[in-house]
Amino acid sequence: MPSTIVHAGFALLLAAALLRDSLDRRALAVLLVVLVLPEADSFLGAVMPGAHRTVGHNFVFPAVAALALCVDTRIRERSWVRERLSPRWIAVAWVALFVHVFAHISLDWTHLDGVNAFWPLRDRFFQLAGEAFYSTADGFVQTFVDVRVDPETGTRTVDAGAGGTSESVHVNNPVQPRDPDLDVEEPVDRRFPVANAGWRLYLIGLGLFALGARRLQGDGVADGD
Amino acid sequence: MAPTLVSAAVGALLAAALLGRAFDRRAVAVVVAAALLPGLDAAASLVVPGATNALLHAVWVPLLAGGLLYWDTALRPASVLRGRFGHRGARIAWVALASYAVAGIGAALFAGEGASLLYPLEDARYVVRGRLVFSTREGVVQTFLVSGAEGGGALPLRSVGGAVADPVASWVNPDGRPGLDASGAREFRFVEAGWQLVVVAAAVATLAVRFRLRRRDGEVTR
Repeated sequence: MPSTIVHAGFALLLAAALLRDSLDRRALAVLLVVLVLPEADSFLGAVMPGAHRTVGHNFVFPAVAALALCVDTRIRERSWVRERLSPRWIAVAWVALFVHVFAHISLDWTHLDGVNAFWPLRDRFFQLAGEAFYSTADGFVQTFVDVRVDPETGTRTVDAGAGGTSESVHVNNPVQPRDPDLDVEEPVDRRFPVANAGWRLYLIGLGLFALGARRLQGDGVADGD
Repeated sequence: MAPTLVSAAVGALLAAALLGRAFDRRAVAVVVAAALLPGLDAAASLVVPGATNALLHAVWVPLLAGGLLYWDTALRPASVLRGRFGHRGARIAWVALASYAVAGIGAALFAGEGASLLYPLEDARYVVRGRLVFSTREGVVQTFLVSGAEGGGALPLRSVGGAVADPVASWVNPDGRPGLDASGAREFRFVEAGWQLVVVAAAVATLAVRFRLRRRDGEVTR
């Protein structure tokens, strides 16, 4: 995984961009919990093979949560959430969903084997990798989604970076540093990355910069309501 | 240069995060334009050798602009900027400066082909590349900062060639050298990796949310 610190850095930037007046410590603490919680699927790896990047890393759960939140707060006559949370905390809940999808799952989607995007509906890892450019020689080129048309049969195959299933894919993490199916006679090296590339350090720096600048500006960062 | 789209996206996110009450369409446009401004040195490279990622990517422009801005808004008894554009103008100016440095120069330094931070005093083009890992067997492993001898420049960062010796190619100037070459194939890069696509998508979604909220608030107060 890109480390939790990278997720947190990008999440901080997004939270600062979305929350106008309510970026206080309690809101940030809630966002941090939402960011860290999905990584708990690393520990499920001991019970369920391939649980990491599957149970906590899919787009199905956040979609269901968003739908439930939307139906409850907008459509139902008596909202279960509104009776319990102030509008400010409903906003924080929406932001938590937003950063979960963009700062956590989407970033993991671009890394190693990707995420099990549609689990539990469909067990298939997807990885987002590629580039997009316009060149005077080739025109517009993008390699994120590979669409091939078989010249003989005319059938179209679309490859959006699909990989193995939770049976076959193991994404290394500090809890299970290597695939349990492999048997290696080596002492285990558990690595906790902070930033494995310049751009990851950049995302961490962006988050800290946004938070620091908000504090310097002296508004929007205050404790309590 | 780092893909223009990535600089714009980071600039837009900074605008949404830092503009506060000054947030509106025009202010966002100014801040995003500031993020793209350093990229214009690619055009200067048609005349000045090695100007790409150097002329406007050096620390001097933001230092000078920051100094002037501080002097005008904090030290002078009556600020010209506030007088003409009000507090809103001063705030937009500061955020635009941050966007220039962080989204414009920063993106090239951390994610692009590098930035010649001390140009024209020094020719070295710096990049921030490496890793920072805590390993149970090796302890803390850090390779972002290097000692002067390894790095090849005055700053403790890796350098990848010189501004003049190895010019950066861009869509404006495909071979990076002075002179207009109409025959060369040009490439305009949108995104170069998955994470950049994620940043761009997140920025678009954030702006959409913020403008929608703003419209709704406007309807409530009216």
